[in-house]
Amino acid sequence: MLYDLRRSDARVRWLVTLLLATLGVAYVFGAWMVGMYAGFTPRSVAATYVEPVSMNMAMPADSTMVVEHDVTPADMGREEQHQVDRDLLIQDTHVHVPMYGIIATVLSVVALGLAIPRWMGFALITLLFAAPWLDFMGMWLTKLVSPHFAVVTLAGGWAMGLGYTIVAALAFWQMWRPERGVRT
Amino acid sequence: MRGLILGVAAAALLHITPTVTLVERSEVVSRLLPGADRFTAREIHLSSADERRLHDAAGWTPPDDVITFYLGKRANQVDGVLVFMRVDSPHGPLEVAVGFDKAGAIRGVEVTKATVETKPWIVEALRAGLTSQYQGAAVNATPAAAPTVKGKVGTMSEYMAELIDRGVAHAGAAYRLFYR
Repeated sequence: MLYDLRRSDARVRWLVTLLLATLGVAYVFGAWMVGMYAGFTPRSVAATYVEPVSMNMAMPADSTMVVEHDVTPADMGREEQHQVDRDLLIQDTHVHVPMYGIIATVLSVVALGLAIPRWMGFALITLLFAAPWLDFMGMWLTKLVSPHFAVVTLAGGWAMGLGYTIVAALAFWQMWRPERGVRT
Repeated sequence: MRGLILGVAAAALLHITPTVTLVERSEVVSRLLPGADRFTAREIHLSSADERRLHDAAGWTPPDDVITFYLGKRANQVDGVLVFMRVDSPHGPLEVAVGFDKAGAIRGVEVTKATVETKPWIVEALRAGLTSQYQGAAVNATPAAAPTVKGKVGTMSEYMAELIDRGVAHAGAAYRLFYR
């Protein structure tokens, strides 16, 4: 064990607490945003990341266009499907992957301070880094190979939530559980 | 210390409120486009010049620069038009449906979506008769239903009423500039 969060200075524990709380808020909003734009089913994720057909349409130079089509009341109730084209996915990957790497590193550093078996530490760190890999691999495979790979993205998303939950729950418990006569 | 941590966590989590549906869109269609037997979606993909024109007129631009009007037709004649407007606030988005009759006057307004946090405020404003104030208003009139509920409802409901006014104003500007 490189360091022990249970016996660390109260300032370190406070820092870790605030860090985890901040990341938790970010994750909750992340999940909310995913719910709004991509959804949580393989079908909706696939619809978000498959190559949009309309992107190949020739658009007249900067003029307002009017498109009409018949709909049913059920169509009006359906949320418009947000789509991520290849350019946006390149940009998303470029921006998000380094940030996910930093978050996985930070959570891994917290995990190193947990009183858990060595194998569990390896597993947790692997999970934390595998999650973003799965997330973006799924998006790219959905776009380039088959919509069926949307499940990989979903697995990545759930793995991300699971990794954070395990680290946060263990850290909060180990740092702040009441211990008679030991508390500083 | 533990109390403080729990307080911080609770404060952070309590502010996050998911979207709730107040009225299903299909229900709104039957209320605001009554009698229509055929529906057409007219999507207006705005050029940057038209986007600026709308922004100058209403201080607003639609998401992805697209406005969608739903035309309700009876016997192949347009009988009314419906548009859904999203209004953002620090407490989450709300969605307003604005129906216009064939003469261009407002037939009715419904609030279709809110958040868990804003729902009670919106419901209070609606119970005070907010949306009935819009009925029959001309499309170029500035919506002013919010002042009619002032003093009858709480401060946050008054604020929600102002947001609903704003959504109706955006719908009116969109209709005036790009539907007619």
